[in-house]
Amino acid sequence: MMWVDILTDGAFAAVAGIGFGAISLPPKRAFKYIALLAAIGHAFRFTLINYMGVDIASASFCAAVTIGLGSLWLGAKIYTPMTVLYIPSLLPMIPGMYAYRSVFAMVMFLQHLSEPEMVEKYMREIFVNGTVTISVIFTLAVGATIPIFIFQKKAYSLTRRK
Amino acid sequence: MKSKEELKKVAKFISDYATRLLGSGVHTSRVVRNSKRIGDVLEVDVRMTTFQKTIVLTIFDRETADAFTEVVDIPALPISFEINSDLSSLSWEAIDKLLPLSAIQEKYNQLIAKPKMSPWLILLLVGFANASFCKLFGGEWLAIGIVFVATLIGFFIRQQMQKRHINHFIVFIVSAFVASLCASSSLLFDTTAEIAIVTSVLYLIPGVPLINGVIDIVEGHVLIGFSRLIQACLLVICISVGLSASILLFKSSLL
Repeated sequence: MMWVDILTDGAFAAVAGIGFGAISLPPKRAFKYIALLAAIGHAFRFTLINYMGVDIASASFCAAVTIGLGSLWLGAKIYTPMTVLYIPSLLPMIPGMYAYRSVFAMVMFLQHLSEPEMVEKYMREIFVNGTVTISVIFTLAVGATIPIFIFQKKAYSLTRRK
Repeated sequence: MKSKEELKKVAKFISDYATRLLGSGVHTSRVVRNSKRIGDVLEVDVRMTTFQKTIVLTIFDRETADAFTEVVDIPALPISFEINSDLSSLSWEAIDKLLPLSAIQEKYNQLIAKPKMSPWLILLLVGFANASFCKLFGGEWLAIGIVFVATLIGFFIRQQMQKRHINHFIVFIVSAFVASLCASSSLLFDTTAEIAIVTSVLYLIPGVPLINGVIDIVEGHVLIGFSRLIQACLLVICISVGLSASILLFKSSLL
């Protein structure tokens, strides 16, 4: 059952990656690799969070580094810069639920200004969910960028057809 | 050795090339590297400063030390990864084959005139993407179906408004509101309505400026990096404004 869950997670992440990639008009040859990287990254994070008890920010970081390394390897095959592959593959990992909860708490906070208890409750929710959202998005972006710094020479010449 | 006219032509091409890349959502250090590479082929030094809306570009002739400087506006183009890959490849091709300016220019014109993906196909793919997003967050099949329809409607409105060049903040607020409003119809059924409402607006997330901003900052282009992040944050705020409007309408059933 565990493997089925992980594979379904990867499959849906792949569809999400393709769709979010399509908004940014990538070259057609990039789609299959975007799907592959999105699936690997998301399934990896899913495994880390659900079966190994890692927190969401660290798990996102590990998944982002994996996606970054994968885009370095696959980008050389189809002559695309790393960002073309990794930006769409990272998007399925955006912590939408936390982002929504902080917006929701913000709206409710402003509706209950005269009730100190509710104010406290919603303030805590804004802080908790907002912190998770921002740190996950930041670790995603930084994690995928790290391979650029480690393998600078290769990362800068991926589009060279030679 | 280049005459004034030739130098001007080179400057015109490199400024076109650099602003096209920046306008299509490429991070700064890649644009600078590519432009310098093209400068190397044409035997000129390229030095540039980039901002959110303009670049300052100076071109030096290596033999005569003649300089040509101009400030160029960055056009507001749709984000295109295809242009990013193709034009980066062009700069390598130019230096590997030592192409003259006329040949580079011709290839450049061909590359930017390539046909784009059909907007209808993009619409469909985005619909599926958001629907599978809903599944990833643990939504039920009914919620997934509702998100699919809500996304199609929201993204269609976004495409139509962008075609008419309406201010993009307004585009984001309206499409977030419409998408989350359509997704709120899931409150009528016994299903994971909250997840449906969340995922219905996620197709609007400005992922490219967010990540490019971070890349620019860590690579030392702090000013433009922050400009991109601020732009992205404003768009995220617009999404939350649209979403909040729907939440306010249905807050009693969401609690």
